[in-house]
Amino acid sequence: MDALTLPPVIELTGVTKRYKDTKAVDGVTLRIDGGKIYGLLGRNGAGKTTLMSILTAQDPETSGTVRVFGQHPYENDAVLSRMCFIRESQKYPGDFTPAQAFKSASLFFANWDQDFADRLVEEFALPLKRRIKKLSRGQLSAVGVVIGLAARAELTFFDEPYLGLDAFARQIFYDRLVEDYSRHPRTIILSSHLIDEVANLLEHVLLIDQGRIILDDDAENIRGSAVTVTGEETNVAAFTAGRTVLHRERLGSLASVTMEARLGSADRARAADLGLELSPVSLQQFVVRKTTAAAGRAGVEPRTVTEPSELEVAP
Amino acid sequence: MLDDSRPIFLQIAELIEGDIVAGALAEEAQAPSTNEFAAFYRINPATAAKGINKLVDEGILYKKRGIGMFVATGARTRLLERRREEFFHDFVQPLTREARRLGISADALADMINRSNSDPVLTERSAGRWMH
Amino acid sequence: MNRAVSVARMQLINKWTFLGIPALIIAGSFALTYAIWLILPSDADTRVSGAAQSVVWYFLALGIQSLTYTFPFSQAMSVSRRTFFIGTTGLFAVVALGISLLYFVLGRVELATNGWGQNGQLYFLGWAAESPAAVQILFNFLVMLALYMTGFWFATVYKRWRATGMLVAWSIIAVVLVGLIALAGWQGWWPQVGAWFAAQTPLSVSGWTALLCAALAVGSYLTLRRATP
Repeated sequence: MDALTLPPVIELTGVTKRYKDTKAVDGVTLRIDGGKIYGLLGRNGAGKTTLMSILTAQDPETSGTVRVFGQHPYENDAVLSRMCFIRESQKYPGDFTPAQAFKSASLFFANWDQDFADRLVEEFALPLKRRIKKLSRGQLSAVGVVIGLAARAELTFFDEPYLGLDAFARQIFYDRLVEDYSRHPRTIILSSHLIDEVANLLEHVLLIDQGRIILDDDAENIRGSAVTVTGEETNVAAFTAGRTVLHRERLGSLASVTMEARLGSADRARAADLGLELSPVSLQQFVVRKTTAAAGRAGVEPRTVTEPSELEVAP
Repeated sequence: MLDDSRPIFLQIAELIEGDIVAGALAEEAQAPSTNEFAAFYRINPATAAKGINKLVDEGILYKKRGIGMFVATGARTRLLERRREEFFHDFVQPLTREARRLGISADALADMINRSNSDPVLTERSAGRWMH
Repeated sequence: MNRAVSVARMQLINKWTFLGIPALIIAGSFALTYAIWLILPSDADTRVSGAAQSVVWYFLALGIQSLTYTFPFSQAMSVSRRTFFIGTTGLFAVVALGISLLYFVLGRVELATNGWGQNGQLYFLGWAAESPAAVQILFNFLVMLALYMTGFWFATVYKRWRATGMLVAWSIIAVVLVGLIALAGWQGWWPQVGAWFAAQTPLSVSGWTALLCAALAVGSYLTLRRATP
C-alpha cells in the first residue's frame, strides 16, 4: 500500500479520561505517524499509564476520539492483535512461571520470536521454572521486557520497564531494544521518568503533564533548544531579555537562567563578551524545567495549554 | 562521548569526520553501518542514519548499493580545509578575546603559542569537538 | 475465533489448576467413598454417596479462578474482553460436558457392577434414571455450567466494582429472595409453590438451569465488557 494512504498509527482527538473528579487524561489531541521510538515522558501520575491503557483498550476513554491503525481499538481484536502493552504492574496468572507466560505470548503475538526470547532470558538470568509471584521486582520487570521485545508487535508499549532492574540489566534492555529495532523497525512507545538514560534512544518526545501533552517534538529538535546562562545578574538579564525563560535561580549577584533558545555564533560571542557561561541543557533538565514551568502557568491560568509555537523560539 | 548541547546526528557526523581526519578511517575504506553506530553509541538508529546521510550529502561518504558506506577519495583533504577555516572562529577568536580580557598583548600571546608548540604534552590533540 | 481458541489454550497452559485438581477430586472422591464402603459393614440398602458432587461444586471455584487469574493477563496478551469470555467459558463448558459424559458412563458401570461390588451408588442419578441418556447428561452438564457461570459472574462483578459491587450484588439477591418468600407467604402461595416443585422433571429443571446459565452469561459479558485489568 502507498505510505500516503496509510492512516497514522495513532490519532487522538480531545481524549479525556475522568476518574470521579480528577482528569487523568485531559483533552489530548495527538497524532503519531509511527515507525519511530517515541518517549512518553512525564512525572509519576502525569497520565502516562492511563494514556497507554486507553490506546491499548485496557481502559475505555471517557470522551474524545481514539484511533489506532485507523480504528477504535476497544474490543477490536483486529487492532489489538497488532500491539503489545505489558503494564508496569502487570498481573500474571496465579501459578504461572516465566516459561508459561512466554508460552502464552507465543499463542497471541504473530511475530513472536522464541529464539530471541531465549537469548533475553539468558542475558537477564531469569529463572524460567520459578513461579512469577516468587520473583524479585527486577525479575518481574524482566518478564515484561522479554514479552514486549520478543512479541515484536507493530505497536509496542513499554511502561517504565526497568523498575527493579539494576544498571547492568537496564543496559541490556536498552542495547537489545536498539539492536532489535534496527533489524525490525516498528513503532515503540517507551514511557519513562529516567529520562537521561533513554534520551539518546528516542527519536521523538511526547511530554505529558497533568494529563496534557505539553511537548511533542523530535528529540533532535529539542537537543540544543534550551541553554542555561550563568553570570552576573544584570548581564544575564540583558542577555535573556525577550526569551522564553524556563527557570531562574539566584545566588548573591550571580544568576542562572534556563531559557529556550537556539544560539548562533553571534549569540555565543555576545555571551562571551558579557562574561556569561553557557551550558547545555539535557533532555531531562529540559523536561523538568518545562514541566515546572507549565505547572507555574497552570497555577495562574488553569486552562492554558502550551502552544507549539511557544516552543520554537528563533535564535 | 555525546553531549546535550547539539543534535546527536551532528555529533555522529563529526565523530566520523574526526576519524577520517585522524586517518583512522582511510579513504575508500568502509565506514561502520548505521546499526553499528546505533548499537555502539546506544542511540536511535534513525539519528545515526541522519548523521551518516549528512556526510553522504556533503560527498564525504558514498553509498555502494547493497554493501555499505565508503569514504570518498579526497574526503580527508576537504575536511582538513574546512576544519582549518573553522579553527579561526572556534579557537583563535575565543583565544584572542580571552587574551584581551586578561591584558595579554599580541606579542605575548604569540610567545605563548611558540612555547606551547614545543611542549610535547600540550601538542597532543585534546577534545576535537568544540561548540560552534 | 482463532484467538478464542488461543485463550482456551492459554487457560490450559497451567494444567494443574484447571484440569489436574478436578481430576484429582474425581479420583479422590471415588477412592475415599470406596474406602468407606470397604470399612463399613454393608446392609441390604443401597449405599448412596454424594461425594461425586464435589467436582460439580468445584466448578464454582473454577468460575472465579478462571476470571481473576487470567483476565488481567489476557489484556496484556492483547485479547478483547469478548474473545476472552468466549474462549474461557467455552473451554469450561467443554470440560463440564466431558465430566458429564464420564459420569454417565461411570453410572452405567456402577449399575453393571452392582454398585462397584459394594451395593453403592455414587454416579447413578436415581432421580433422573427414567429420563433418556441425553437428558441425564444434559442435567449434569447444566448444573456444572450454572455453578461455573455463577462463580464467573461474581468474579466479574468484583473485578469491575470491587467490594462495593459484591455488597450491592449480595444485597439485591437477599432482598429479592426474602421478598419472594414474604410474597409467597403473604399471598398463601406455598401449596402452589410446593406443587410446582413436585411437578418438575429432570428435563424441565435442565430448562430452568439453562435459562439461569444464559442470564449469568449475558450478565457476566456485559459486566466484563467495561471491566479494567
